[in-house]
Amino acid sequence: MTNKLSRRDFLKLASLGAATSAVLTGCGPASRYVTREPYTKMPEYNYNGQSTYFATTCRECAAGCGLVVRTMQGRALKAEGNKHNPVNLGKTCARGQATLHGMYNPDRVQSPLKQARGNNPTDTDWDTAISIVAEALNNPADTAFLMGLAPDHLFDLVTDLCKAIGAPAPIRYGALGMFEARATLGEASRAVFARPDMLFFDIANADTVISFGANFLETWVSPVAYTRGYSQMRRGPGGKRGRLIQIEPRLSQTAAKADEWLPGAPGSEGLVAVALGKLYAEKKFGSAPTAFEAADINLAAEASGIPLEKLEHLADLLAEAEHPLVIPGGATLAQENGLETAKAILTLNALLDNPGKPGGVYFTPANPLSNKYQRAATANEMAEFIGKMNSGAIKTLFVHGVNPVFELPKSLGFEAALAKVGQVISFATFPDETAMLADYILPDHHGLESWGYQRVVTGTGQSMVSGAQPSVAPFYNTRATADVLLAAATKAGGKAAAALPFKDEVEFIQDKVSVLVGAEGGFYNAADLPAFWALFQQFGGWWKNDSSLGVPPQTANAISKELKVSAAKPEGEGEFHLFVYPSPILAEAGANKPWLQETPDPTTTVMWNSWIEINPVTAEELGVEDDDVVTVESAFGVVEVTVYKYPAIRPDVVAIPFGQGHTAYGRYAENRGVNPANLFGTTTNGAGDLAFAGMKVKIQKTGKKRPLSRLESKLGVYGIGMSEEH
Amino acid sequence: MANPKIPEFKADWKEGEEGRWGMAIDMDLCTGCQACVAACSMENNVPFVGEEMSGYGRQMAWLRVERLWEGEYPEVKMTPFQPVMCQQCGSAPCEPVCPVFATVHSQVEQLNLQVYNRCVGTRYCANNCPYVVRVFNWADYDRPEPLPNQFNPDVTVRRRGVMEKCTFCIQRIHKAEDQAKSEGREVVDGEVAPACAQACPADAIVFGRMDDPESRVSKLSKDGRAVHLLEELGTNPRVAYLKGGSNGNLG
Repeated sequence: MTNKLSRRDFLKLASLGAATSAVLTGCGPASRYVTREPYTKMPEYNYNGQSTYFATTCRECAAGCGLVVRTMQGRALKAEGNKHNPVNLGKTCARGQATLHGMYNPDRVQSPLKQARGNNPTDTDWDTAISIVAEALNNPADTAFLMGLAPDHLFDLVTDLCKAIGAPAPIRYGALGMFEARATLGEASRAVFARPDMLFFDIANADTVISFGANFLETWVSPVAYTRGYSQMRRGPGGKRGRLIQIEPRLSQTAAKADEWLPGAPGSEGLVAVALGKLYAEKKFGSAPTAFEAADINLAAEASGIPLEKLEHLADLLAEAEHPLVIPGGATLAQENGLETAKAILTLNALLDNPGKPGGVYFTPANPLSNKYQRAATANEMAEFIGKMNSGAIKTLFVHGVNPVFELPKSLGFEAALAKVGQVISFATFPDETAMLADYILPDHHGLESWGYQRVVTGTGQSMVSGAQPSVAPFYNTRATADVLLAAATKAGGKAAAALPFKDEVEFIQDKVSVLVGAEGGFYNAADLPAFWALFQQFGGWWKNDSSLGVPPQTANAISKELKVSAAKPEGEGEFHLFVYPSPILAEAGANKPWLQETPDPTTTVMWNSWIEINPVTAEELGVEDDDVVTVESAFGVVEVTVYKYPAIRPDVVAIPFGQGHTAYGRYAENRGVNPANLFGTTTNGAGDLAFAGMKVKIQKTGKKRPLSRLESKLGVYGIGMSEEH
Repeated sequence: MANPKIPEFKADWKEGEEGRWGMAIDMDLCTGCQACVAACSMENNVPFVGEEMSGYGRQMAWLRVERLWEGEYPEVKMTPFQPVMCQQCGSAPCEPVCPVFATVHSQVEQLNLQVYNRCVGTRYCANNCPYVVRVFNWADYDRPEPLPNQFNPDVTVRRRGVMEKCTFCIQRIHKAEDQAKSEGREVVDGEVAPACAQACPADAIVFGRMDDPESRVSKLSKDGRAVHLLEELGTNPRVAYLKGGSNGNLG
C-alpha cells in the first residue's frame, strides 16, 4: 500500500476491500465465478439489500480505464470509475457507462454456433468446438489469428501459442488505431526521438497547447485521462488558465473547447507546423535552426487558409508561453504526407524544448509485463495480410475482439478475401458483420464477465497493468476464448500442450502477473502469489506509485535535421475533401448499445443515425437543406446520407462520423446510417497508415428527404419556422 | 374543526436561503462529452425511446448538454457546453400548479420531489418549468430482456403517463445520510455524489452541502464567475454555473 494514506483514504480502501476481499481471497478454481442464484438462495457473500463491488477493466476501448461494477444478487447494476486506477481516477466516459448495455443486450450470441457463413446456422456444443480448434492448431502454418486491441492477456496467450506451434504471430487491428494513425506517430517518434514509441503529451502541465486535430476530449488514445489533463490545464498553477488552440477543418467537440479554432485545410498541417517553427525561432532566437530554415510562411498561409497574421500571433503565443506543447492528431497524419507532418510536429516540440519537461512530450513508461509497444496493424500490413488470405495460404482464420468487415476500409477487400479462407472461426460476443460470415461463432464472455488484464499504453505516467475479473457469472452459454484455446492446445498435444500447461485462463494470468510479486515501488506489495492475486483483483490491477515517464533524447539533434514538408496531394476527384472522424459517442463499437444511440452527438445533437456535415453556404450552392439526402461518391464507393448544415466546417470540406452503418451487430445497430469507411481509398503514408483524410468526393442531390432526430430545437438554430410576425 | 390548515406542499422558502444540497458546474471545464447523461440514465433506470420518438423531442434523459452557435463561418463559435438538469429551485414554479401534490417540496432534503404514484400526467408542472427539464413518459418504452437485469433497485421504474425529472440522486443522498447517522456524524463534504458528478471526467460538476460554508460547492457557488439560470425569475435555483472560459479570451 502507499505510504501516504490519509485516514479518509484508508476508510475508502477498507470499505472497497471489505466488499471484494470477502469473495476473492483464497479463491480456488471452483469459486472462480460468482453464480447467479435465485433470491431464496443468494451467494454467500451477499448481505440482504447490500451491493457488492468488483474492480475490473473497461473493454469499450483499449485505454485500460478501471471500473468498479456495482452488483446485487448476482446482477450487475452500474459501471463506475475505479478511483485507484491511475488512468481514469474514478471517472468514465459515456461509452464506459453504457458497457452494461452490451452485456445485457438482447442480441448477444448465446451459445456456440455452426454459423456456416450464414447458410442455415445450427447450434453446436463446446466439445465439438474445441475439437475443431484443436485440429486447426495441428496445422499451424496455415493458421492465422486476427485480434483486437483489447484484451492484452489473450493476445499474450495467442502470441505464446503461435510461437510454440510455429504459426505466424497474431496480427492486431482496431478502427481507432487507424483513425489515430498510431503507426505514423510511432515512426515519427523513431525519426525524431530515436524510439518508435507511443508518446505521452503532458497537457495537464502545459500552458499553451496547439493541437493539430487531436480529438483528445473525444476518442483519441486515452480520452478520459486527457480530459483530466485538459481540466487541470484550465486550472493551471496559481490560477493561470492554460490556452488551447485547435487547427482542423471542422470544429470538433475538442475544438469547441478551444480558445481558438483555426479551420486549416486538410493536408496543410505540416506546412503550418514548420512555418510556426520558423516564426517562433526567429522571434525567440533571432534565426531558425536547420529544420525550420527552409519553411515558406506565405505558402503555409496560402495552403492552409490561415491568415499570415494569425500564424504570427500563434508564434507569439508560443514564444510567450512557459510550457508550450503541440499535439499531432490522427486525421492530420492520415494524409499522403502524414509521416512528414508528424515529424514536423514532433520536431516543433523539440524546438519548443519541451521533451521530457513538465507540460511537454514524454515516452510512455515501460510496462511491467512487456516493454514492447504493440500497436495496431497499419493499412499496408492489413493489405499484406489480406493478400495472404486471397492467395489461399490461410486455411483457418481466428478472429477475436475486432470486426474487420466493418472496421476495415472496404477498398482493402477483406470481405472478398474471407471467401478464400478455408475456415473462419469467430470468437465474437456479438453477431457482428465478420461473425455472420464465419463458419463457427464460439462466443467469448462479455468483458464484464471475463478475467484478464490490459497493459496501459499511455494516459498516465505510472507504469501499470489494469486487471479484469468477472463481476457477474456468464449470462449465457459462452466460454472464455482463453479457456477454449487452452483446452484445444491440450487436445492437440505436442508443442501446443507443452507451451500452455495451464488448467484455465486464471492460471495463465496468474503465471503472467507472478513477475510482479515482490516487485519494487508498487501501489501494494505481497509476498506470495495468492496474496498478490487477491490484491490485484481488489484494486483492479497493479501500478507503480511514482511516475516513470521516459525522457526523449537531447533536442539539439532533432532540430538540426532538415524537414521536407509539402502540401498533401489528395486522392480521387471531386469538389470536396472528405473528413471522417470517429463518433465521440459511438466510436467503433458502440452502435449496439441503445443508450449510446440515444445519447446526442456533442456538436450536432443528432441521435440514432448518420449525417453529413456541410457548410451552410455550400449547402445553399448545392441546393440542399437540412434532412435532404445526398449521395457521396469517391473512386471506391458511394453512400447515401442525410445533410446536416454545420456552421463550423470549411466550405470545401464535408464530414461524416464513423460508427454507424452496420449490416449486422444487433437490432439497435443494424440498418442504421452509413459506414463512411466504404468511401476510403488505398493510398497510404510513409508509415503505412491509410491516408483516409486525403480523399476527394463528389456530392449529388437525390431529391429524397430523411429527417434526423436531434436534441436541439431547429427553431432556435436556423430560424426555421420563425415567421416575420414573431 | 374550524378553519383546518390546508397544507400548501410548496417550499417554505425565504429570500437568501441557500438550501441543503447544491451543485456547481464549471462551464470552462465541461467538455460536452455526455458521460453525465449516460451515467444518469444508467443510475436512474431512464428508458430509451428510439429514433422516431426522440425525433419528436420525447427523449427521456434527465439532463441534456446545451450548446448554441454564434456568428457565421469563419467567425463562428460554439457557446460553452452547459449541462442542464432540474435546478431544484427553492421557489419552484412546478410545485404550486400540480393538482394532485405529486410535485412537492421536501422539507428535509429541501429538494423538489416527484411522487410517481401520485402523478396523473396533467403535465402542468412541465408546462410551468422555465428550464424545460421535466420529461414525460408518453408510452411504456420497450426494454427487451435481459436489459432489465440492470435496473437499479434503489430507483422506481416509471411507466406511461408519469412525469419524471432529476432527483439529485436522492437515493444516494439517503444512503449517505443513513450511513452517517449510524456512525453518529454528519455527512462530510464529498461523501455523496450524484451519478453525473461521479462520472464527469473533467471534474466540472461539483455536488455537496450548501448549508456548509466550507464545502466545495458552497465556495464555488459564491465565486465571482457563478451565475444561476434565469435568475431574474426568482426561482432560487440550487445549481450554479461558473461562466467564462472557452471562447474569445485569447491574447
